Amino acid sequence: MKATYKQSQLLLTHKTNVSFWHRYSTMDMFYVAYGLLIVIAVLISYLLGVLDWLPYFPEEMDLENMMAPPGTEGYLLGTDFMGRDILSRLIIGIQAYFLPGMFAVGIALTLGTLFGVLSGYFKGYAEYFVSYLHNILDSMPRLVLILLVVAAFKPDIYLVMLVLGITCSPLVASLIKDKIILLQKRNFVESSVALGLPATTIIFKHILWCNCRAIIIIQATLIMAEAVMLEASLSYLGFGVQEPTPSWGNMVQAGANYLMNGDIWSSTAPALAILFTVLGFHLLGDGLNNILEGKRR
Amino acid sequence: MLTIRRILLVLFKEIFFSLMLLFGVSIVIFNILYFSPGDPFSHLLSGQLTDVSARENVVNALGLPSSISGQFFSWLVNVLQGNLGTSLRTGKPVLDEILLLGSNTLFLTIGSLLVALLISLPIAIFSALKTSSFFVWPLTIIAYVLSAIPLFWLGYIVIYISTEYFGVFPIQLGFAASKTNETIIILLPVLVLGIASGAISEMVRYIREELTRVLNEDYIRTAKAKGASIWRHAFIEGLLMPITIVLTNKVPFILGGAIIVEQIFNRPGLGRMAWQAAQDRDFPVIMGITLAAAILVRLAFLLQRMIFMLAIPPHQINRK
Repeated sequence: MKATYKQSQLLLTHKTNVSFWHRYSTMDMFYVAYGLLIVIAVLISYLLGVLDWLPYFPEEMDLENMMAPPGTEGYLLGTDFMGRDILSRLIIGIQAYFLPGMFAVGIALTLGTLFGVLSGYFKGYAEYFVSYLHNILDSMPRLVLILLVVAAFKPDIYLVMLVLGITCSPLVASLIKDKIILLQKRNFVESSVALGLPATTIIFKHILWCNCRAIIIIQATLIMAEAVMLEASLSYLGFGVQEPTPSWGNMVQAGANYLMNGDIWSSTAPALAILFTVLGFHLLGDGLNNILEGKRR
Repeated sequence: MLTIRRILLVLFKEIFFSLMLLFGVSIVIFNILYFSPGDPFSHLLSGQLTDVSARENVVNALGLPSSISGQFFSWLVNVLQGNLGTSLRTGKPVLDEILLLGSNTLFLTIGSLLVALLISLPIAIFSALKTSSFFVWPLTIIAYVLSAIPLFWLGYIVIYISTEYFGVFPIQLGFAASKTNETIIILLPVLVLGIASGAISEMVRYIREELTRVLNEDYIRTAKAKGASIWRHAFIEGLLMPITIVLTNKVPFILGGAIIVEQIFNRPGLGRMAWQAAQDRDFPVIMGITLAAAILVRLAFLLQRMIFMLAIPPHQINRK
């Protein structure tokens, strides 16, 4: 009784002519707008860095203009302790996490989808295996596991991102599994099984492509936020990108040596970049989650 | 009598489950070590005979199991006897060092969890009760911003501010630390880790969603209609359970953050030890720390199950 009521309510919300702007809460719209803004900014800056369209060469020193505050003539965001342009270094710093982050997202989504389909659609031993794996990976702090891998192999960012991808995959898997279990009770899946469609068509077309896109996009943004933070933390700890090549983490670390002289800006600028970027990805993920995955106003 | 038996049964089940998971953790750790490049034999034989037969003879002479499972079980037996090996850097047994410094990290972890809870709980309760209030939006944004702050930067800023404006230098310098500011020296890292560990927004979100769901249940409406206290009915399912779940889920995150905070504030602890070990490729130490962290996380989950069992009536226990 309750289920049919909910279903009819859902149908109603689809049929009514509520305008786009009134269907979702302003807060979620704001989240998504801010998140998209950040994503676009990161993409454009990454392209600028790849094409080398920078105001200055990131390792070029201007010894007359050390520790310049933001807004100094010629330096939009000021310079650091060696007179290097902070804006150029921030833009180049994106390269430290952009492709590795994409790699982590790819690994997590591929493994997560695989495990999710195995445990949700085929069930059986796969379900036990995936939940066991989930609990094992949950038991180890991610940063400690990564330090173990770094100590055993070598401090390579793609290796670290592989570990991040693997440790993020059980969460994706459990979300997809829940979704599949929900979908298997719906008519269209039952009827496509009855029509004798091959399992691959049902899984890839009817379940993953038509109904799990939202989950996958949301998780991709959240994992990207994790990747940004992790890369910055590792660069700060000295296992990531090394000076003089800039990354946001080692910029904070290098700038912090001059903090006690009262020069806050050269470590705060990269920290703010991390803050706004991570915030953007988090808000985009959560806003999309509220908009696409139920929780209507 | 029956309840005691039931509690013991659930306890044994949970302990068995935890042991199985720790077994899995040790398999993961062993495999990472097994596939890591470089092995003791080539190190032992370097500059001497390098052909395969000499290497095999050395392996046989030392009486080492050749198969991967044989090596794993001989390693596991050693670990179970408390022999985690000796640190390659200091030469001391790893277990002793972990036991010596573990309490510092434990204090840091528990303290920061409490700080994170103290910040997120009021926000969650307020925004669950007053959904239409003007302040819900700013409070939620504050929670998001707090959990996006880079931990290492906040640590430096806190050190800078406390030194510059309050005249307190919060970095522990071995025995030279002055006794007057001891509490601040101990409390500042806890505060920093609690604020910026990245746990707050998720804690607010989870507790708020659960509380809102429970407050919309029919039995709460009945309680309201009768004029009974809502909190007496909503407390266990709406607050106690989400709080314990979210706290135990955040233990691994906070333990990871402890690496960074102990690094900034120069505090002796497992995190700093792990960092040092990763720098020196001292993997007996970092392996021991990973195991210790996993044991800590499993103990937290065990505690969570115990709280559930005591708080929830037994007939509902399978539902959760």
